[in-house]
Amino acid sequence: MKKPEFSILSFSPFLGQFFGLIFFLLPTLSGAIETAFEQDPSLPIVYLNIAIQSGSVSDPPGQAGLTNFMGEMLLRGTSSQTKKQIDLALDQMGASLEVETRLEAMIFRGAVLSSQLKPFLELLHEILCRPSFTGREIKKLKAEITSLLQEELGHDHSLTYRKFNHFLFQDHPYGKSILGQISELQQLTHTSLLSHYESLIKSSLILVLATGDTSLEQISGWSQQLEKTLSSRRTAESTPSVKLQTPQDSNHRRLLLIDKPDRTQTQIYGGQIGVHLTDPDYFPLYIGNHAFGGPSFSAILMTQIRVKRGWSYGANSSFRFGTQPRSWSFHLFPAEKNTPQALEYTLHLIENLKEKGITAAQFEFAKESLIKSSGFMYNTPRLRIENKLLEKTLNLPQGFMQSYATELKKIQLSQVNAALKKFLKPDQMAIAVLGTAKNLTESLTRSTQLSPDKIQVVSYTSD
Amino acid sequence: MNRILSFSCMRPFIFFFSIGLFLTGCSTGGQHKKKSDSCALKKEGQVIPLISGIQVIRFVFENGLRLLVVENRSSPTFAYQSWFRVGSRDEEPGRTGLAHLFEHMMFKETKNLKDGEFDRLLESAGAQGENAFTSRDYTAYIQELPQDQLELIVRAESDRMHHLVINQHAFETEREVVQNERRFRTENSPDGLMNQELFELAFTKHPYHWPIIGYEKDLNQMNSEDARLFYLKHYSPNHATIVVVGDVCASQVYSLAQKYYGTLPPQNFTPSNPLNEPIQTNPRKKQLKLNIQVEKLLVAYPIPAFTHPDIPALQVLRSLVGLGKSSRLNQALIETGVASSVDLSELDDKDPSLLIIAVDLQHQKRATQAESIILKEFDRLAKNSVSQHELERAKNKINFDTYSGLGSNFQLAQFLGSLESIAGDFVVGMRQIEKIQSVTAQEVQAVAQRYLNLKGRTVIIGVPK
Repeated sequence: MKKPEFSILSFSPFLGQFFGLIFFLLPTLSGAIETAFEQDPSLPIVYLNIAIQSGSVSDPPGQAGLTNFMGEMLLRGTSSQTKKQIDLALDQMGASLEVETRLEAMIFRGAVLSSQLKPFLELLHEILCRPSFTGREIKKLKAEITSLLQEELGHDHSLTYRKFNHFLFQDHPYGKSILGQISELQQLTHTSLLSHYESLIKSSLILVLATGDTSLEQISGWSQQLEKTLSSRRTAESTPSVKLQTPQDSNHRRLLLIDKPDRTQTQIYGGQIGVHLTDPDYFPLYIGNHAFGGPSFSAILMTQIRVKRGWSYGANSSFRFGTQPRSWSFHLFPAEKNTPQALEYTLHLIENLKEKGITAAQFEFAKESLIKSSGFMYNTPRLRIENKLLEKTLNLPQGFMQSYATELKKIQLSQVNAALKKFLKPDQMAIAVLGTAKNLTESLTRSTQLSPDKIQVVSYTSD
Repeated sequence: MNRILSFSCMRPFIFFFSIGLFLTGCSTGGQHKKKSDSCALKKEGQVIPLISGIQVIRFVFENGLRLLVVENRSSPTFAYQSWFRVGSRDEEPGRTGLAHLFEHMMFKETKNLKDGEFDRLLESAGAQGENAFTSRDYTAYIQELPQDQLELIVRAESDRMHHLVINQHAFETEREVVQNERRFRTENSPDGLMNQELFELAFTKHPYHWPIIGYEKDLNQMNSEDARLFYLKHYSPNHATIVVVGDVCASQVYSLAQKYYGTLPPQNFTPSNPLNEPIQTNPRKKQLKLNIQVEKLLVAYPIPAFTHPDIPALQVLRSLVGLGKSSRLNQALIETGVASSVDLSELDDKDPSLLIIAVDLQHQKRATQAESIILKEFDRLAKNSVSQHELERAKNKINFDTYSGLGSNFQLAQFLGSLESIAGDFVVGMRQIEKIQSVTAQEVQAVAQRYLNLKGRTVIIGVPK
């Protein structure tokens, strides 16, 4: 991936004077739903995010995909409306409502023409509070997700990333597929859905984050009504306690070769366990990564792999974040003929980065670029709301996302290179390559300096 | 076609944009209206109201360059986009992919900047989203910058519009990058392969026949001289529109544009209109065996160019057929367990093109079954008038898409730039969009009868190997 799954740009302190918009985080009462709102009358539309502070890592053993499945089922019928009626109502209003499941959050993302906000909020309230989980819709959704998982086998990039992620984290919950596995999806029942719903859809886990052409009163009034309804219905006594362990790197370099016929190009992901956003080394590593893997056309990887050699259309590295350290990975997709040399050279560049660090010129360029582009983190109300969501769901200190520019200014070159030296583990990296195995196995053994027993070959269709 | 692959914000082969209602009397956009005293408009500028209080200020320079500016003070940033009215439709057989390959070359050396300096200059100034893309009809260069970097980008963009240096070594390296992009987007992608086959089958004369990224053989036989001639023909002020949206003063943008672009000479070259595609009189069909586990289907019907009077009614038809979960094809294909997804292409090509329905089948379901369902639904549309309720729903979905596609400087600039490129003038494009609100049920039925013609369709089916 060129970028982490969320933007981690910073913003300049001077931006505040331009916004002149309203932002509230309502005081948290005991059990009350936290609500953030920023008014934006520039277009007649309202964006509403309902975030549940628990995601697919809360899937019980043997029920991978349950959280995502439950979230999707909420949009598929209530005690008084069928899925068809809900779909018709949303389209008639000029609205959209989707659910996005992450590892550690589930977010209902709604958008509606502001003239239709009232009926939209009424419908959303019913969806969250009175789901039906009918057998017909459960069966339909199982078939749809199964088909999506099979369809994904045709998409080399996303398939490689999913398999790399599992290979890196092994049995840790961060390695699980959010959509689940076909075999385990078939085991999900009405009972398991209801139980999971009662565990997760409760006021103490919900955040309401909105922006657009409406008022704080309307959004906070709706939040209070939601809280009132949820507190009056049966919920699980406790939230499933997910005590995530800190994931660990393997003690040696490993290669997963995902065998797919007729490939003229490979997909390569490699990496290691990352850092937490509040780790003291994070900001030095953030600059170090920017200099090495972008997203910049002037970054080392892009210059060496694409610009100078033309080996790959994209070449980059990035962090992903969670409440625990998650991942740092690189990605490239060279022609099959260039794969061994491109991977070997990338590993050499990482080793070099660890040993020698970046130069003063590379440091100054990366630092200056990041500080000056920081305003784009907060240049729309939707981005500001999104940042608030990240702070809450990743257990970050309040205002963390606003501290980037200030933090980056403090960083020195020596800190960056010390952090890179300490952090990078090229000899312990997990590497996944999707390609045609018969053409690659031998050459990849040489380019990764691995003995054949450290190379695992699997079919691209393997679960 | 992006210059760089960025999965978090990757754009498809066709550059999509939302179209919808341009009303007066909607909620006013305060940020768009504020203007400081020092920002008085030059007399050369023409103010054109767009939507929700947004005003576009248009300038046309003596050398033919067009400049569109929207002042928006909501953050100290701006989007700057350069749209050239040239795409793969302007290529010749044997030189396919040149428009896109040339787009890559635009980031190389100029007379004033060494190779790589353009990127470094912009990135160190805090540029965001620096990129480019090529479609069948246009090529665009995009970025956003902090408010105080206006002169830098005007200077840099005008420099590469006229002073690009094209050398053979850089051309060869970039060609290899493009070959890798082609492997990614087409050769190793079931959807890319099917898309390429569809256009090859549906178009026999018109340049929409060949893929934007070009054929491997054509790419390999081109050289830097091809790129240089392409640059001379198509990259000049009279073939471009600059769109600037954000925390800028229109008068200042105008002055800087006059300073840096004003002296650039126009090119006399006038692109010729591509050959008209003969009317298709028989259905065309092809099956591909692919590395997939579930079947895939593309069904396409010839439709007119974006500026044709039937397009507003076709937009409504497209919405009620395929936009939203309640749409007819979603109900007929997904809710019945036949398909897992249905998508319809945008109707935004400069020349007569295709309305494409793309379907991913569910496990063990057949593409031929989905095709029959689509034909049945289209037959129903041609025979029966739609209800007012359904018509209103279709228009609401379009309006929603329009507003949600204009929420940032970048999106608004993209909206204007694409309309300018495909309609020749964004005002003409807006008129087409305004007409959507007055489309009647009878007009929808009429275009269904006219264009969803059984004999005119082209079908590609993807099945597992």
